[in-house]
Amino acid sequence: MALRVNSENFESEVLKSELPVLADFYSDSCVPCKRLSPIISQLESERSDSLKVVKVNINFDTELAEKYEVQAAPTLIYFKNGEETARLRGAVKKAEIEEILI
Amino acid sequence: MSKMYDTIIIGSGSAGLSAAVYAKRAVLDFIVIEKEYMGTGQIAESGRVDNYLGLYGENGFDLGEKFREHAEALGTEFLESEVISIVKDGNAYKIALSDNSDILTKSIVFATGANPRKLSIKGEEEFSGKGVSYCAVCDGAFYKDKVTAVVGGGDTALEDALLLSKICKKVYLVHRRDEFRANKALQNTVKNTENIELVLNAKPAEIIGDKKVTALKIMQNDEEKTLQLDGVFAAVGTVPNSKLLNGIAELDGNGYVIADETGATSAEGIFAAGDVRTKQLRQVSTAVADGANCIFSIEKYLSNV
Repeated sequence: MALRVNSENFESEVLKSELPVLADFYSDSCVPCKRLSPIISQLESERSDSLKVVKVNINFDTELAEKYEVQAAPTLIYFKNGEETARLRGAVKKAEIEEILI
Repeated sequence: MSKMYDTIIIGSGSAGLSAAVYAKRAVLDFIVIEKEYMGTGQIAESGRVDNYLGLYGENGFDLGEKFREHAEALGTEFLESEVISIVKDGNAYKIALSDNSDILTKSIVFATGANPRKLSIKGEEEFSGKGVSYCAVCDGAFYKDKVTAVVGGGDTALEDALLLSKICKKVYLVHRRDEFRANKALQNTVKNTENIELVLNAKPAEIIGDKKVTALKIMQNDEEKTLQLDGVFAAVGTVPNSKLLNGIAELDGNGYVIADETGATSAEGIFAAGDVRTKQLRQVSTAVADGANCIFSIEKYLSNV
């Protein structure tokens, strides 16, 4: 189960994480977010050794959404060593996510 | 020789799922092809559905899930893939999929639905996802205490405006006519909501911004005006996903597949159901009816081929 993060623990959980992190910026009752969710869970269990997955609920954590200029839900941001290396928007397919997880 | 299906249902919205239920009961050999993972079509985007008989007040997403569970309970098989082309092959059709595989079928239920219509103005593409949205439920939360505009005059536009009025400081409702198409109850609520400002007889002209949207230029009664705002939500109706039938079946001027209640199109063996076909009223109830009718038509068609 992916960890919910907020602006308080974002630095320690995401930016300073040893493993690369896939952050799922989602909003409540957003249909594409609901469709994407099971795919994210699959990736999380398939890659538990090499990937950390976190979730940001933008209904509550607007600060993080603003900071990373996220304006569409869902948005996936891939962080490596604290740096954003890729970003995907919308209910993308599993293969498209796998492509950015390098 | 590769397998020949009785029918292939393209699309897993209300029309496609209803067709699946009827096709199972008719013991047809079929699968449902869907572009989206576990899709249920446009109904999923509806906040609350108050006009589907027997399920008063259900939210759209849950209603769609119920439809899907029903089709699954009867053993419907789904295939997540995109149809690239449909080609007539003797008495049958060959459906080419995005993974380069082909499927052969004697008939097709074409239930591909419709997608949100674009505003088709300058800046729309550039700022899509950066202040231009087609889903207030998804993206509304990004505009807390900000100013937004909803463009449109139907149920969706007014529902979006109401939803945003609870989040935003101010919501402009921009509509090209001076009357709304939306239902009267909704209109009354909107008119009584303090932070919704009606901008009537106004057409959007351009979306302006730098990194993000900052303003919407409109033409109101032939006069150019600029609304300073942070987000624009488009709710100007839908366009049918009928491209695949271009040159195969007759479409009307707006791209809807011409078919009556039986679902029969001008292409023998292809039956259209749901929002993609020409009809008076596009609702869940009429989509469900279409799915049923198409399968009934297909049973008759198959007994004659």
